[in-house]
Amino acid sequence: MGKFDKAGCFFYQQPESASKKSVLYNEHLKLTNKSRMADFAGYVMPLWYSSIREEHGAVRSAAGMFDCSHMGILEFSGAAAEGFLNLIATNDVSRLVCGKAQYSYILDAAGNILDDIIIYKRGEEVFMVVVNASNEPKIKAYLIALKDGSAVVDADDAGGKIESWPVIRDMRDAGSDGESRVDIALQGPASLEVISGMLEDEVEREKLEKLGKFCFFEANVGGIDCIVARTGYTGAKVGFELYVNPGRASELWGRILGNGEKSGLRACGLGARDSLRIEAGLPLYGHELDGEYGISPFEAGYGWAVKLDKGFFIGKKAMVERNESFDMEVCRLELAGEKGVRPVRSGDAVISKDGECIGWVLSASKAGERQVALCYINRNSVTEDDIGGVYYLARNKRQVESGKREAVNKGEKIEVELSGKIVNRFENF
Amino acid sequence: MIKKDLLYTSEHEWARVEGDIVTVGITDHAQELLGELTYVELPEVGAEVKIGDEIGVVESSKSASDVYSPAEGKIIEVNDSLEDNPEQINEECYGEGWICKIQISGKESVKGLMSGEEYEEFLVGI
Repeated sequence: MGKFDKAGCFFYQQPESASKKSVLYNEHLKLTNKSRMADFAGYVMPLWYSSIREEHGAVRSAAGMFDCSHMGILEFSGAAAEGFLNLIATNDVSRLVCGKAQYSYILDAAGNILDDIIIYKRGEEVFMVVVNASNEPKIKAYLIALKDGSAVVDADDAGGKIESWPVIRDMRDAGSDGESRVDIALQGPASLEVISGMLEDEVEREKLEKLGKFCFFEANVGGIDCIVARTGYTGAKVGFELYVNPGRASELWGRILGNGEKSGLRACGLGARDSLRIEAGLPLYGHELDGEYGISPFEAGYGWAVKLDKGFFIGKKAMVERNESFDMEVCRLELAGEKGVRPVRSGDAVISKDGECIGWVLSASKAGERQVALCYINRNSVTEDDIGGVYYLARNKRQVESGKREAVNKGEKIEVELSGKIVNRFENF
Repeated sequence: MIKKDLLYTSEHEWARVEGDIVTVGITDHAQELLGELTYVELPEVGAEVKIGDEIGVVESSKSASDVYSPAEGKIIEVNDSLEDNPEQINEECYGEGWICKIQISGKESVKGLMSGEEYEEFLVGI
């Protein structure tokens, strides 16, 4: 359970436990063998089925389907739900209308990001909140700690207080009363026709075609009741997440695979999920958000999701301060990536044109014939002309012995080993 | 896939001993775990190596893995074609995907390696 200091930091040590099988585990074993399954955020998940390159390509040119059933889904309901979410999340929930979703952050009282979330408003008093699989146990512990008073709500005497509590329940728990849901994502240009082909109702097909970004509706997809949302994590202009009863997830997965075959749809693993989100510039909690550098939403390029002009929310004072002064930010770097080019990795140094280290790589991936790296660099260096490229850190002992560096500090002079250029912070496909 | 006529290390390298020449590569299990390889760092021809020395690095977009020498001796040849076509290791890890050749001074130079059967059992146990 969490411990707290005076500054309002929430610390949580997740207890060790064996990884669980996702509800689609048996479906994965039909498509790939066990050696390609790995532990991720408490679940045994597929890394890839055919290859990361093929699956990445399928999402960009046709469609890809992802098992996201490990993502946490919590429901907040009742008269207090909106006010409560507006207090624990940074974006303004009061601006959300039914059928729309909103990207937001949950902070502790010291302003540390505990998770980035999406809030779906399903009714005036019903909200579905999707949290990262890796952060779900922490968020649950945080909610308990807020309730029992062990987590600080207002570290700055700003008058913040939780007045009343909504009903909170885990929507993935099939045993809990009411509906249960897990997430299956369908992303890429052909995903619209695949889902549309599975809708029996003309009105629903029309709704799907007109569905705006971050909007959702309930539909019968191939005979299975789903929440169909135009959200996703791949940078695809057309992409959906289907929230389905866990008991029918395997059925839906199989039907989509069958129906999607003629459209070039492929099942995609964690590898492609990561390479797609990196290519698109989307942050991953622990890498481009929070993590070893304690990256704030402002530094990550998501200041718009922190509404400093709304009333009190947990961590607000720290956010006001972080917004006023930050000298580093996340940028997207494009580098050569054809065969024979050493892959750039997290921790490699980003070097300016003047040969000085100005920051580090956070995440990197191959994307076609190029590599895309999300980097954390000096804010005043974020122009195309200032970047030289990357210096690779030593990959092993032998390289260290031959003089390669294991770490490079900001301000140090060091040679560029692979040239790169800054590209737009985000890219849609 | 395991070839019965090769010797293996617990770090998933294979060794083909022909006279005093040992050809070295990584196993099918290793390439499967790494995924599509995008970069291979080869050892230097002429380098003297001991068993367990790092003689190269194989990298996929997701991970980098050291290659350890299964033998003691001198590197006499490296598979340069891997620099431009690292995926040869994925396609044919026991053939065109070989990494280097080591000249050894005697059977002592490859001691402690597993047979194909032993490696097969070893894989079941991990």
